[in-house]
Amino acid sequence: MGFFRAIDKGVEKFASIGLVICVLTMLFLSTTVIIMRWFDVTFLWFDPFIRHIVFVSTFLGGVIATGRGTHIGIDILGKYLESKNKLGAQIWIERLIAIVSTGTLVWLITASWDFMLSELKYGKPVFFGIHSGFLTGIIPIGFGLIAYRFFFLFLKSFGEKEEGEGASHA
Amino acid sequence: MLETLSFVSILVLAGFGVPLFIIMSLFALTAFSFTDVELSAVAIEIYRISSQASILTIPLFTFAGYMMAESKSPQRLLRFAEAALGWLPGGVAIVSLVICAFFTAFTGASGVTIIALGGLLYPILKNEDYSEEFSLGLITTSGSLGLLFPPSLPIILYGLVAKVDIDKLFLAGIIPGVLLIVILSAWSIKNGNMAKRKTKFNKDELMASFKGAFLELLLPVGVLVGIYGGFTTATEAAALTAFYIFVIECFVYRDLNIFKDIPRVILDSMSLVGGILLILCCALGLTNYLVDEEVPMQILDLMREYLTNKYSFLLFLNVFLLIVGSLMDIFSAIIVVVPLITPIAAEFGVDPIHLAIIFLTNLEIGYITPPVGINLFISSFRFNKPVTELYKASFPFLILLLIALVIITYVPALSLYLVE
Repeated sequence: MGFFRAIDKGVEKFASIGLVICVLTMLFLSTTVIIMRWFDVTFLWFDPFIRHIVFVSTFLGGVIATGRGTHIGIDILGKYLESKNKLGAQIWIERLIAIVSTGTLVWLITASWDFMLSELKYGKPVFFGIHSGFLTGIIPIGFGLIAYRFFFLFLKSFGEKEEGEGASHA
Repeated sequence: MLETLSFVSILVLAGFGVPLFIIMSLFALTAFSFTDVELSAVAIEIYRISSQASILTIPLFTFAGYMMAESKSPQRLLRFAEAALGWLPGGVAIVSLVICAFFTAFTGASGVTIIALGGLLYPILKNEDYSEEFSLGLITTSGSLGLLFPPSLPIILYGLVAKVDIDKLFLAGIIPGVLLIVILSAWSIKNGNMAKRKTKFNKDELMASFKGAFLELLLPVGVLVGIYGGFTTATEAAALTAFYIFVIECFVYRDLNIFKDIPRVILDSMSLVGGILLILCCALGLTNYLVDEEVPMQILDLMREYLTNKYSFLLFLNVFLLIVGSLMDIFSAIIVVVPLITPIAAEFGVDPIHLAIIFLTNLEIGYITPPVGINLFISSFRFNKPVTELYKASFPFLILLLIALVIITYVPALSLYLVE
């Protein structure tokens, strides 16, 4: 469990540092470009570059939201069970959510990996000479990080139960 | 049979609380598997978001709003609004409405307003002898009040999903947004008359508080003049707003430490943005499938059997959206429902801009509609009160907002006057 926890912490740290860098880059770069536009200086690479930073931030934000359990969902049953104080059922639902999410993300990784391979074959450079095939790699990597965190939540839910039982025995 | 069973199972999983972006993806992957379309089509749709020109507005405006909420900006703005309006009968309540609307416009009604301002406003309202029920109801309702004002995140998201000009939507929301505040202010004045204590007007305090909050008060004016004066696009306005708030909060007011606070604010705001944009990405595949299968048109054919004109359609739409708003949060509702209803509304002759304002007003009301309106739960958590107490406290405000909704729905000129 400690090994998986360490990886999860590493993923969170990577996403946190990445997000800070991405947001500050989009903030300063977009402001600089607006100011330069007032002096009729424009860069063709700016728009696609900044949009890809937003794209990366989307996945990194998703990684953080997964760890915090703040993804947007409908959750009618969860709220009902919470109001009825059915803790046991809630834990099983959390496990179901984690495992379904992990499975779907693995399916998405496969689909986006195929897309990346075809883009590497037929794509073209987008900015700074970076090929679109590499840029589409953001999708499987991003989903991969989120999938790992869901998988860890699934594992953790069993660990927590054991810890809870241990505590109650003590 | 297998197809139906799969889709029903996915809907059940949604009810269990599986994240919506997973549900959307699962739906799209399953649908494409049944129709023998290459699954990489889902990834192609996801990647399409990186070519949306106005996508930058979402992270930057949200980051700006979160920076303001984390600084002492709420206190400064509250002091000014209290000095300007606090002397009116019901003035303190009106101040609360105006300040919450201002904040919600920048934070996108993500619960930040109630969390950031609730603790400040509640004791002030109680101190002015407003009943606990009124104070709780007012704060709970105000948490989503500024949704129709620029640069609110739901407006931007609606524009992106429905492919409607965001600049026009910003303009269209102003009069309906003011109407909501006016109606709730009238209710506050009625309750204010019963309050025993009243704040006196103080010119010196007004000037001092104005000076204190001047740089933040410039913001809404700056955004509107920038966009409608033709100086900036909505995206550029987002960049300039975020940069401006970053500079004033970190270097002028020094409320936020660039190393200690900014990384935390970035993570808080981007976890929300990531959640929203992931749903948006993953919904594109599903939306395409629904459009390919002509689902909106099938719904339209069904509706035509029961709804004969535009007005009966609008009535149905309001009831439907109120239910949606009370069950789903605004961001998911926009992404899921908008692609389905826009073609139907167009067939019934509803203006797309007017439709957007009706849609957003309904979802704004959904925030305080029992049983699961999210503001009710946030207030319950923030003020440590049972949610049933919040149901009761918000009920008069809910009725008033429904009256405003009827006016906004059946008087399109309110939404279209500034646009035209």
